Amino acid sequence: MWFIIPPLSKLMSTETQTFNAVVDELEPIRDFVTEKALAAGADNRKNYALCLAIDEIATNIMRYGYPLAGITDGKIDVTITTGENTLTIILEDSAVPFDPMHHMLPTDDDLNKPLEDRPIGGLGIMLAQQSVDELKYEYVNSKNRNIFIVNI
Amino acid sequence: MNITFKKSGDVEIAEIEGSIDSKTAPELQQSILNVIAATSKIILDMTKVGFVSSAGLRVLLMVYRQLKGKDGKIVLVGVSDEIKDVMFMTGFISFFEIEKSLDEALHKISA
Repeated sequence: MWFIIPPLSKLMSTETQTFNAVVDELEPIRDFVTEKALAAGADNRKNYALCLAIDEIATNIMRYGYPLAGITDGKIDVTITTGENTLTIILEDSAVPFDPMHHMLPTDDDLNKPLEDRPIGGLGIMLAQQSVDELKYEYVNSKNRNIFIVNI
Repeated sequence: MNITFKKSGDVEIAEIEGSIDSKTAPELQQSILNVIAATSKIILDMTKVGFVSSAGLRVLLMVYRQLKGKDGKIVLVGVSDEIKDVMFMTGFISFFEIEKSLDEALHKISA
């Protein structure tokens, strides 16, 4: 009797790359994500939205997370898992704990204000939350883990 | 990111190429603010811009505020659908005139 078992690699593949937590690395991070997202079948719009979400969170880690922790050579591990219908990207860093899900976001009132009186803070995190199907946050083993999930 | 300025009458045209993220936004903002110190009409040609994050929106906001203060005008050209999505989500879209071509933008800004 024969059992046909599909190779696991066909169902799921995972790759991790480590980047320095400096803004020069934003573009290389987007390139890594784009390569995987397009290969997984995401269209340009979905890929853009995903890159945007990751860019905003990564920028926060670089600009605030590591400087507040007094760490000058921080890293961000980017792990991309391609599933059958989903793409999961995990950013892991050792900066100060920061949960983007509990950050003050601009209110509807703020978003309707004329541009000249509008507060600008929180815009990036709002974009990150709105640009992926799911954004989750965990703090595990002294590491921040931001998890982005998109359905493809 | 690259930015090239040219002039058409009293209108400054800034052609931007590349990504506007937290790395490139400060330089972009500085060069545009320098230019609009001496003029009140600017067109940002974004045909070759592939990516704009909230850092890029912040540049638009600063330029908008500077120009508003002196009754100036800004028109955007060649904004991709993806970038329009970002401007829509943040409510920026209603404050900016967006034209398809440079000719239309020049017409609009000189009107």
